[in-house]
Amino acid sequence: MKKDSDDSERMARLAAGDTGALRELYEKHGRALLRFSSAMCRSRQAAEDLVHDTFVALLRGPHLFDPEQGTAFNYLCGVLRHRVSRHFRQQKRWVALVDDDSGVAAHEPGPADEIARSEVSAVFRQAMLELPLQHREIIALCDLEELPYHAVAAILDCPIGTVRSRLHRARALLTLRLASLEIVDLDNEPPLVQLS
Amino acid sequence: MTETLHPQVAALLARYRRELKDTKPSDSLDARIARLVAAGNEVFPPRHSAVRRVSFWAAAAGIATVAIVTGILIGMRLERGAPARVSQQEAALPADFSLWPTDSVALQIPAEYSAQGTLVAVDPNARSTGKRYWIDVVVSNDGTVRIDRIVPAETNHKKGAPDGITLQTP
Repeated sequence: MKKDSDDSERMARLAAGDTGALRELYEKHGRALLRFSSAMCRSRQAAEDLVHDTFVALLRGPHLFDPEQGTAFNYLCGVLRHRVSRHFRQQKRWVALVDDDSGVAAHEPGPADEIARSEVSAVFRQAMLELPLQHREIIALCDLEELPYHAVAAILDCPIGTVRSRLHRARALLTLRLASLEIVDLDNEPPLVQLS
Repeated sequence: MTETLHPQVAALLARYRRELKDTKPSDSLDARIARLVAAGNEVFPPRHSAVRRVSFWAAAAGIATVAIVTGILIGMRLERGAPARVSQQEAALPADFSLWPTDSVALQIPAEYSAQGTLVAVDPNARSTGKRYWIDVVVSNDGTVRIDRIVPAETNHKKGAPDGITLQTP
């Protein structure tokens, strides 16, 4: 609770023109936002650009944050999520003249990259990146960032029930994809793990 | 609530999560944020929501006022333009145009002032007792009758028919 009030105070300072508060918010939440962005985007550079854009948006409209609606991190995550979504919409308008590594990696397990250092993780990351955006983001927020459902519901602006059902579908899709890549063996299925 | 997950997927998720946790912003991103912090107030001066709201409504009111004034001006121009067009039509008519139908006949009726001071038709063959006048009456084919003019008989050289009525066609 103390942390939230600190963030609210930083937001208020930022709204008053104290850009030092932006630096503090970046130091506190920058890494988490970059993790979320990296889990969503194929390219590390794009992930960093989106985090940067999020802080630019915050600087332009700090008054848009309402502490009654949720925490500063949830707000930043929501802004970043919209930026990610817009990034992918814009990408659809372009056609690459040269096949980049992402095009190759879409069908073949690629080598480890900056984010997923081991090859197994790289394949897992690739499978995740092939999920639809809304399933990818629910896994990134719930399973990778381990945020509570109510926080995820606040970020996605949807009911908790929707978060649960979407997460269930996303995990099922991810499991099927990993099975098709022969990373997961569904035939000799061991007992399911319970995640809290 | 608990959610079930395939153990191999759970293990992969945990491994990926650990690797992702090591992700740090690059020096380039740190530098970009530092530049943003340094130049923030100059590039994006802080604006209070109240100020923004007031400026929004002020702009909306201005646009509405301009729209209303433009509408009034256009209406006034149309209002003025309508009679002007009618007068132009009238101006385009030929000089000999008359509102009266052309298919009509003119009658000349001799008349004299009676003792009561009214002009009455008289027999042209009767002896004149006073000053005689010609009343030019025009009867049109649409049924209208009008007195065109009344002239003293001395100035009119036309000689009437025996019944005193002269027919003319305009």
